[in-house]
Parts: sequence; C-alpha cells; structure tokens
Amino acid sequence: MQEENKTLMTEEADEVIIPEVETAALDADAHLEEKVDTAYDGSQIQVLEGLEAVRKRPGMYIGSTSTSGLHHLVYEIVDNAIDEALAGYCTAITVTINEGDTITVTDNGRGIPVDVQAQTGKPALEVVYTVLHAGGKFGGGGYKVSGGLHGVGASVVNALSEWLQVRVHRNGNIYEMKFARGHVVQDMTVVGETDHTGTEVTFKPDPVMFDDTVYNYETLHTRLREEAFLNAGLSITISDARPGKEKSEAMCYAGGIREFVTYQNKGKTPLHNEVIYMSGKRGDAMAEIALQYNDSYNENIISFANNVHTPEGGMHEEGFKRALTAVLNAYGRKIKMLKDENDKISGDDCREGLTCIISVKLTDAQFEGQTKAKLGNAEIRTLVSSIIMDKLDTYLEENPGVGKTVLDKALTAARAREAAKKARESVRRKTGLEGGQMPDKLQDCNERDPSLCEIYIVEGDSAAGSAIQGRDSRFQAILAMWGKMLNVEKARADKIYGNDKLYPLIVALGAGIGTEFDIEKLRYHKIIIMADADVDGAHIRTLLLTFFFRYMRPLIDHGYVYSAVPPLYKLTRGKTQRVAYSDEERDRISAEMRGGNPNVRVEINRFKGLGEMDPHELWETTMDPEKRSLRRITLDDASRADQIFSVLMGEQVEPRKEWIEKNAQYAVNIDI
Amino acid sequence: MAHNRDYKPEDILFPNQVITENELIDEMEKSYIEYAMSVIVGRALPDVRDGLKPVHRRILYAMYEDNLTSDRPFKKSATCVGDVLGRYHPHGDASVYDAMVRLAQNFSMRYMLVDGHGNFGSVDGDPPAAYRYTEARLSRISDEMLRDIDKDTVDWDPNFDESRKEPRVLPSRFPNLLVNGSSGIAVGMATNIPPHNLREVIGACICVLDNPEAELPDLMEHIKGPDFPTRAIIMGRSGIRAAYATGRGRVVMRARHEFEEFGHDRTRIIITELPYQVNKRQLIRDIADQVKDKRIDGISDLRDETDRNGMRMVIELKKDANPQVVLNRLFAQTALQSTFAINMLALVDDQKQPKIL
Repeated sequence: MQEENKTLMTEEADEVIIPEVETAALDADAHLEEKVDTAYDGSQIQVLEGLEAVRKRPGMYIGSTSTSGLHHLVYEIVDNAIDEALAGYCTAITVTINEGDTITVTDNGRGIPVDVQAQTGKPALEVVYTVLHAGGKFGGGGYKVSGGLHGVGASVVNALSEWLQVRVHRNGNIYEMKFARGHVVQDMTVVGETDHTGTEVTFKPDPVMFDDTVYNYETLHTRLREEAFLNAGLSITISDARPGKEKSEAMCYAGGIREFVTYQNKGKTPLHNEVIYMSGKRGDAMAEIALQYNDSYNENIISFANNVHTPEGGMHEEGFKRALTAVLNAYGRKIKMLKDENDKISGDDCREGLTCIISVKLTDAQFEGQTKAKLGNAEIRTLVSSIIMDKLDTYLEENPGVGKTVLDKALTAARAREAAKKARESVRRKTGLEGGQMPDKLQDCNERDPSLCEIYIVEGDSAAGSAIQGRDSRFQAILAMWGKMLNVEKARADKIYGNDKLYPLIVALGAGIGTEFDIEKLRYHKIIIMADADVDGAHIRTLLLTFFFRYMRPLIDHGYVYSAVPPLYKLTRGKTQRVAYSDEERDRISAEMRGGNPNVRVEINRFKGLGEMDPHELWETTMDPEKRSLRRITLDDASRADQIFSVLMGEQVEPRKEWIEKNAQYAVNIDI
Repeated sequence: MAHNRDYKPEDILFPNQVITENELIDEMEKSYIEYAMSVIVGRALPDVRDGLKPVHRRILYAMYEDNLTSDRPFKKSATCVGDVLGRYHPHGDASVYDAMVRLAQNFSMRYMLVDGHGNFGSVDGDPPAAYRYTEARLSRISDEMLRDIDKDTVDWDPNFDESRKEPRVLPSRFPNLLVNGSSGIAVGMATNIPPHNLREVIGACICVLDNPEAELPDLMEHIKGPDFPTRAIIMGRSGIRAAYATGRGRVVMRARHEFEEFGHDRTRIIITELPYQVNKRQLIRDIADQVKDKRIDGISDLRDETDRNGMRMVIELKKDANPQVVLNRLFAQTALQSTFAINMLALVDDQKQPKIL
C-alpha cells in the first residue's frame, strides 16, 4: 500500500482525482469505476463493487479485524481531520465514544467539499465516502504532506460500518448524508443552516466484520494524545459517553514534541531541566527532534514520519543515532573528558537514559519492513543528521552544564557496560556457562527442539515440587525461583549478571540478555510464568515481566511469554470435585452440581497457592496442553508500556502513589 | 548432546491447545494493583479504628480465643504462633512471631498489648529467645481491646479456608492507633505514627465528645505531643503542630542527659533515656568510631553501665573539653538526636482506602 490514497478535503471539488492505472495493479477490482462517465445506475454498482472488495478483504485495508482494526477506523477519520490541521484550517478535533460503541469525530476544518465532482458527476462528499483511493492528496495543491499508515480513508471506514452518517458545515449550510455498509441510504440533503465550517462523522462498526466492537478508551486516548503532541497547538478532545464509563479529556500542547518528551519522562528524574529541541528543513522535508536525558538506564526513542509512528525506526532514527554519537564524542574530546581518538563512547552508551522524540514530515514517505513500520527515505537520514551535527553541538557549547552532565552519564554507562562485561565473563568462567551446564534450579525436559519445549517459571516455596512431579518430562521444563527477585528497573546491567536469582533464569533460557540477546539461541518457545494467586505471586509476576520487557524484549515481541491460568475455585459435593477458572464458571458448575436441588451442599474453596494442589491436580488443571488454557502476553504500545514500567517499578514514589490511588478501585483479588 | 527420544515430535505438538491473549500493559497493571493493594490493605497499614495491622489483630484474637487473657497463666509462644498460622494467617511463622514479640517489647510499645515472659529482646538489638522458650498472654490493656467482641459489636469475615470467622476489626475501647502508634512501609506509601499518652488521648476524646466542633488548639490542650516508650525529650512544638494539622511533620528527639563531676575537676555525660527506636549498642559503636576517626573530640572514655536499675550510658570527657560543645557535636553527628518523620496514614472506610489522617 505504497500510495497516498486518503480522503479528500480540498477547497475545490474539481481537485478530486481518481487515480488512473497505477493503482489498478494493486487492487484490480476496486477500479472498475474509472471508465464510468454518465450512467447513474452503472456507476452506483461499480462503486459498490469497489467497497465490496474492502468487506471481502478488510485485512488489506485496516490490518486486521481484531480490536486493533476496530480502533484503526477511528484513526482513519481522525487522520483526515489532522491533515486538515496540517493544511492550516483546523484547530480542534473531538472524538466521542457514544453509547452502543459508535464513534463521533468532529473537526472545525473547511468541511468536505459538497459541490459536484466533474469526473463522476456526483457530490464530492459522496465520492469521498464511496470511492476507494479518492482524495486530495495525489495532485499537488491540496496537501503538502499527509500521513496514514494504510492511507485508505473514509470510504473504507464507511464500507466497514453498519451505518455511517456525515454532516458537513460549509457555505452556511449543513449537508447530511447517510450510508449503510457502504451503500448510500440518504442522498446529500441540506438539513439546516450553520455559522461555521467543519465535518462531523458518526459511525457504527459492523459487528459482522469485527470480532469485537467494544472500544477501549485508553487505546484511543493514548493514540490521540500522541497526535496532540505531534501537532503543536491542535486541540484534541476525547470523551467516553458510555453510561458508567463517562470521562473526557481535552489535550492541547503548545510545546508540541517538547511536551511529549516531558510526558515520557514523567516518573523519571531528568538530568537537565530543559528539553533540548532542534528542527530544520530541506526542500519539502522537515524534521524536529526533542530530547532529554534522565537517570534511568533505558533508551526511549520514539519516531514518527508524517505523524505515523515508526516502531521499527528507519532512516530518521539512523541519522539521529549516528549524529548523536559523533557529536558527543567530538564534544567530549573538545572539553577533554575524552582523552584522545581512541577514547570513545559507543552509541549505546550515548543513549542510556535518553528520551527522544523524532518527528519528520516529507512528501513521499516510503514505509518498509513487514509491518510498514520503518521509514525508508534515505534523504531524511542526511537531514536529521545535519540538524543534530549543527544544532546539538551549538547547544552543548552554549550550555556547558548540560553537556557535562550528558557526557558524564555516557561515561558512567560505558564503565558499567565494561563492568557488566567483566561480570558476565567471570560468571561464564565460574560456571562453565558456555559448556552448556544448566543451573541446579532447572529441571530440564528431554526434547531439544525449542519450538516444542516449554519452561515453567515457578515460585520456589510453593509449587516447584508439584510441578516437577506433575509435568510431562518430554517437553516441560521447570525452573524454580526462590525468594524475591531483583527489581531490574532500579538496577544496572552489571548487577543483573551477578544476581543469584536472575542468573539461573538467564542461563536456563540460554539466549543472553540486553543488546546481546539472541532469540535463535533461546531454548524454549513457551516461557510460562506460573505464580500463586496471592501477594507474592502477583509481585513476582510484575518483577518477571519487568525483566523480560527491559532485558529480553524479543521474547515478548515474538509472543513467547505466557501466563499459566490456574483454576480459581475448587467445588466439592460429597466425593465429587470440580474446578472453576472464573466466577461465572464457578456459579455454573455449582448449579450443575446441585442438579436443581437447592438443599445440596456444595463447598466452594478458593485456591490460594499452587502448592495446595497435588501434582496430578496441577497437571490436569494447569499444565496439560490438552486441557489447560494459556495466556499469551502481547505488546501493542511499547511507549506506553515503557511508561507504565517506569511508574510502577521505577525510583520515584510520587507517580506510583498517584497511580495506585487512581487504580485502587480496580483491584479485584486482594489477598489479606 | 545425545538424548533418548521414544516419542515422535508430533506427539507433543498439541495443535489444539487453548491460547488466549492479553496485553502486557494490562497483565502488568492487574498484577501490580493486586500486589500493591494486598500489601497496603493486607499487610503494612493499620486500620484507623483499632490501630492494628491484620497480623496483629489475628494474634490478639487467636490468643483471646485460647483464653490467654491477663488473668490466666502464660502459655508457650509456640502455641500462639501455631494457632495464628493455622487459623487465620497463612504466611511464614517468623512474620507472626516477630509481630508478636514487638507487641511485648516495652521499648517498642507505649502500652504493651502482649504480656511476655522470657527474653523478648532488648533496646541493644539483642534478638528475642526462640518461640519454644518464651511464654505469653494478653496484657491488661488488650482485654479492653477485645472486650465485648462476642456481643455482635464488630463485622466478621471468613478466614482463608472458610472454616472460621475472624473479626474485621477489634472493638477497641481506646484509640489504639494514637496510643500505640504504628509504622509500616507499603507500596508507594508508608505510615509512621508516634505513640501517645493514654490519659492525654482519652482527655482529647472526651473533649471531642463534649464539643464535636473542637479544633486543633482545643485538642492540643490535652495532647501535648507524642509520648515515646523510651521517653527522652522532644525539641520544639512546630513539627508536632504540623503533624497534627496536616498529617505530616518532623519531630526532633534528643536523649536525656546530665553532667556529672568526677575525679579531678572532670566531667562526664550520663545518658539515661534514648530517642525512640535507637539501638543502643549501635549508637555506642558509632560514637566510638567517630572518636577514633577524630570526628568528635574531647571524649576520653565511653561505657555502658546499664543494669537492672535502668539505662546509664557514660561518656567521660577529657580535662580541657567543654561539655556543652561535645554534647552538641554528639547531638549533631549521632543518633543521640534523631528525627521521627510523622506520616499519619491509615486505612479508613472499612479498609478499602488508604487516607492521610
């Protein structure tokens, strides 16, 4: 999906261009309409065929029909409004989740054109919502830059909605149009008068198309906040109007990505007060970078191209990293903190504790990689790199205090890395790590093919014994963790190698940690956290997740981390015993066991520790692949996850306290 | 590496296993809030009504059930610990015994809730004897905490295996939270409440009963400030006032001392009371170290003459030393002067929400 194919919102309707053959190759059956001239009926049918393609293969247009696809619909409409903002005509956007999980998006832009579009002889508004690849972004005049990962526009949203209603405020009139699953239900009608311009779209995602049509406020909120940061001064309001869930937040950041950096650093202690901001332009391309160092040990670079998040980086990140390393090394030599040419700080060390937002805008963005999440335009690398070379150097010259702090941090990082290397080597020597000797705590399995093997990480005191006796030794390994493990969020790499709790885990998994992590060497493709349903179990789960996220991130990206799902209740009637995994199941089973006789006594006990179960019970309920259920841990939003980990596990207490106070009400399973 | 395989890889593929998905953030947030709230509600913070954490409440109630009241003979601590574990507190035995020991220490509790017999540790940081040696029963004031508990005065919850009921709170007849204080570190928050004089607190209670509108100055007529079991001296009132008004404040405590003349025109400093929660042996070691490192001058000898007549720490000064100057250095550089950071946090609203008082 390389080309720009988004909704039009241009000043003049005759700018609407339906692209010719170049798109046909991509999506043949979507382009029958190009030959159409006057016949109304014929054109109608052809347009529908175009949108039918969307309904047939929704994945091609919105990625998937899971919840991420569902939310993508909103982004498509919002992106259109933001393009209007980029063009300088829109200042406020509101997004509302209505009762029944319909979505309303309102903007105060120019409003979608309503006059007749020459090529099709229909109102531009209708074209926008019914023709694929109709838009104002193909020819020059309408928009200079615009984003959109899939860039498929309003017509796709329309095709995938049970119904959609659009109202345009333009020329003093309110024009209304209604659709159902892409079909026009009500032609464009003037329904009133107005004193402003703008567009209001309401739609209900089609339950036939989506697995689940319930919107998540937090997901939308996170994404819209990102948009608000990236578009300085644009006010975006998100509201949840569903009964019982009412909330609303207006977001408007005059400081743009500078405030984004501050926001990302919330919960961390910055090393210098001011966020460093740099920007520059070359031709139609422009780039802005904001950065600030904090005292953590993690690097947090978030990059965007045309407001689209590029989680896999690309040329802009590459340019930034290279230039940053070069500038810091040169500066270090200049102020004599680095002795000579051979005294170097590596790129990783330069980025320890760095929070950085890179946002570039360019006319012909090329996204690469499997998920189109990587920017491929080489010219942007030079642009970003020259901005850093030029401006960061000047900034450090003018702010020697900041320069020294940053360099100090990098040098400490370099020393720690050196220490970590030594610790690692000494550990290797000590235990013959490379000879393949496994820790005592590990009860390994027979199979050697990682894709077939599972490892259960079990809290030592309670369940290791049961798990070892209950397992299937062909493919299930058990690793016992004794006592509380280290909180890696507050510790540095060299501490982690020396840690006697983490070390067996690292060795057992066999793939190393941090930058040296090699997923190819991983010994198990299912890493299953099996912790008790009590305080210590919950705690150890948070500690393990933090460790995996910070030091073995590919595990999560590949979907290798799981949570075991042990039963919650044991129900006993006389000699029959059954287990239940949820409250609903408990009630159902309890009713079944009673068999309609209200006087029968069914005893219900809550399982607290895995150690309460006999080995065979543990196998039957939690470990047998035929009967158990596993919960795979997935990662959608790495930058939000980064923040959550900082708040929950980091050094600063105050944000954690706030978070707990806010979330106290959601605690369901409190163990006293 | 050689290994035997008497099965086919297909045997362990299990293509039909059930796998659901959950976002990392959600998994993390859920686990964390469970952990945090469990620690806050279930472990580290006291209930505002009886001033007890769950483990303390369970100890007192289990002892009460066993009829270990103050008018009965002592019983081995091991029985109490076992009963608490078996009936109400499914955790480690050490956590129960440590909590019980603290309730019986005269230097930890302003008014001891457990009456201990045997070695229950000392202000020098000596450990208590193991629970097979010591004996315990409820103290007289604990009888007041539990009086009328059988007369439907409090709510009850089922215990961990739902075989018994345990009180959600004790029907304490006096405000134990203020009287005995409490301290605990939870997650994202901590509490540190100083103990007070029972007579003063009751006076303030009567004052509020008579005049529900009573303001801070009225109450401070009765309660002058914290009353520590180790006594000593509080310096200044502003910290106390801040703590009572806002829930947070810092109280500076100093050891009680006197100067004694001895030998040929020489002076020694005698310490008879220490600030709350100061370990005497550590303090002496610390002073000795500082003298050795020449960070404190003018001290010729340091002895601990504490015996059954009470505390007596002796600091002998050199002939030319100015006693007041040495004393001030000691206050500034050692735990002879300590700070108690008051942070009045307890569980209110039926143990659902932590709140600053």
